[in-house]
Formats: sequence, C-alpha cells, structure tokens
Amino acid sequence: MISFRLQIALLVALGIYFFLVFYLLKKKMLNLKYTLLWLAAGLVMLVLTICPQILATVSALVGVFDPTNALFAVIFFCVIIILMSLTAIVSRLNERLKRLIQSDALLEKRVRDLERDR
Amino acid sequence: MLKILIIIPAYNEQDNIIRTIQDIEKNIPEANYIVINDCSKDSTRSVLCDYGANYLDLPVNLGIGGGVQTGYRYALEYGYDIAIQFDGDGQHDAAYIKELIKPLEMGQADVTIGSRFINNEGFQSSAMRRLGINFLSALIKLLCGIRVKDVTSGMRAVNRNMIAEFAENYAQDYPEPEAILAAGLLKARIMEVPVQMRERQGGTSSINALRSVYYMIKVSTALIINRMTLGKR
Repeated sequence: MISFRLQIALLVALGIYFFLVFYLLKKKMLNLKYTLLWLAAGLVMLVLTICPQILATVSALVGVFDPTNALFAVIFFCVIIILMSLTAIVSRLNERLKRLIQSDALLEKRVRDLERDR
Repeated sequence: MLKILIIIPAYNEQDNIIRTIQDIEKNIPEANYIVINDCSKDSTRSVLCDYGANYLDLPVNLGIGGGVQTGYRYALEYGYDIAIQFDGDGQHDAAYIKELIKPLEMGQADVTIGSRFINNEGFQSSAMRRLGINFLSALIKLLCGIRVKDVTSGMRAVNRNMIAEFAENYAQDYPEPEAILAAGLLKARIMEVPVQMRERQGGTSSINALRSVYYMIKVSTALIINRMTLGKR
C-alpha cells in the first residue's frame, strides 16, 4: 500500500499538472486534440492515487512487490505513450511541410514564368 | 511523340550544373529538363538564373528524396510520359539517356535503371562501396524478388504510372534503393540498362566514408520496415 504522505504529495503534483494543462489550453497554446492524451494520462494517475487498492491488486497480478513501484511504472508508461504520440505528430507535420515546400517551389516557378512572359 | 522530362537534383553544384544541362541539350534536344535547386548554399541559383535554365527553387532544403519528388510532381502536373532522374554533379553521361528510355518507349518496362555493373565499364566505385551495393542488392532481391545490380544508381527513368506513384510516395533520405523496393512491391517491371559513369568532377558526394556504415544500417532497416509495412499491393 502506498503511504498517506505519498498520496498527498501526488495529489499536489497532479493539481499542478492539471492546472498547467488547462492553463495552456486556455491560452490556446495547446490544440485540444493533442491535450486529450495528457488529460487521459492525468486521469489514470488521479484514479490510482485516490484508490490505491486498484494499484495493490494490479501489482500483485503482475508480480510487482511494492505498489509504489507499480505506480511509478504506470506513470512512466504514460510518459512513453505521450512521447510516441509526439513522434507521430512530428512525422505527420514533417510530411505536410514537405508537400507544402514542394508546392511552394512549383508555384514560384509558375509565377516566375508568368512574369517573364508578360 | 512522348513527352520526356529530365529531373536534375542539384545541391551546391555551381561548378557542374551548366555543363550537365549543356550535355543534355546536346545529346537529347527533344526532351525538356528541370533542375531542382535544393536550397543550395553556393551560387547554384544565380548560375541557373543567368543561364536562363528551367529550374525549381526549393525555399527549404528537403534532401535528395524530397527534391526528386518535387520533379515527379512537376512531371505529373505537366503531363509528361517519361521522367528521367539525372544527377547534377557531372557523374552521369547524357549520351546514355536514349538507351535508358528505349525499354519504356517500347512498353517493355515501367522503370529502367542505368547500371554500371552490367558491362562493368567506366567508373566502378571503390571495392568497399561495391560490397555495400551488392549487399543492398541481395537484400532487395530477398525482400521483393527483383534482382537489380546497381541499386544506388541515381540515373533512372520511369513511365507515366510510376511518375504518378512517385509524385505521391517517395522516400526522403536515401531514396535510391527504397524506390526500387517500392516499385518492386508494386509489381512494376524493372530493367537495368548498361551505362558508364564518370567519377564526380567537383563538389563532394553526399555519402562520405564515415557515414557509409550508418548509411548501410539505416538503408537496410528502412528497406526491411518498408517491406513489412507496404507488403505486396
């Protein structure tokens, strides 16, 4: 079982976490669709902090001796998922940017040809 | 009469590019060409401009794959029947272009590759490089069943169908071997045509000795991943 102290500390940390996410959302510095993953990860952490019994059951199931370690493992897993989604987002942006640059070059040539023929 | 476009990717080729264009104009005057200036840092752009060359100017450096793909998009937009890739660094000889596109004109192939290793004439590259090329060649044979000897040759020609395909999908970083695999998985008919190449006359190759191990690992991985994700369509 995780200690009451750790529970309080985690709740404070999660408070800051959610404040930051909502603050960035409000300032329109985050797209909502990319924020959903952050909110989902926060929710998982919140549920586990409030109901540590779940954690105890899960850690017994997968053979982790200390539920605190299981909690950290879950948080780490959330971070990995978020990082992966970031790579996916960057790759998509890269592909779109490439197409845009190519279209720009094709248009620039058209404009150049038009100006020369005028 | 088929419309033929020669795509010439150029990055920092101020000393070679005009010679390449003149070589093409002399050897195959019926074809059009387009130079893709991939945001060169030297005066390639002003050299092209002064010559009155037909060129595209990429505002951001995309690398060889993204550059060549721009050429394929241009070919698609203006309805070309055959597109030829031809390096702007003076390694390729325009005298071989007619031979290169013959199988496409006859409808015998979808992709032709100018190969140094059919007659083993002209510049043959170093022994280490050939070892690497043979390895990639064997890997591509394993992955799609098509045997191409000179998989890194940048001199190649494709027909209308492949222009449309490459305009849509083309590998970005070291695209030569990947494009062969992609074409092979699409069941394109690939044919090698013997050509001679020269040693490069100026500038530096994009692949130096230190990078070549990294190149091999990266290309091999990319090929295997491509095979797994694309499958045979």
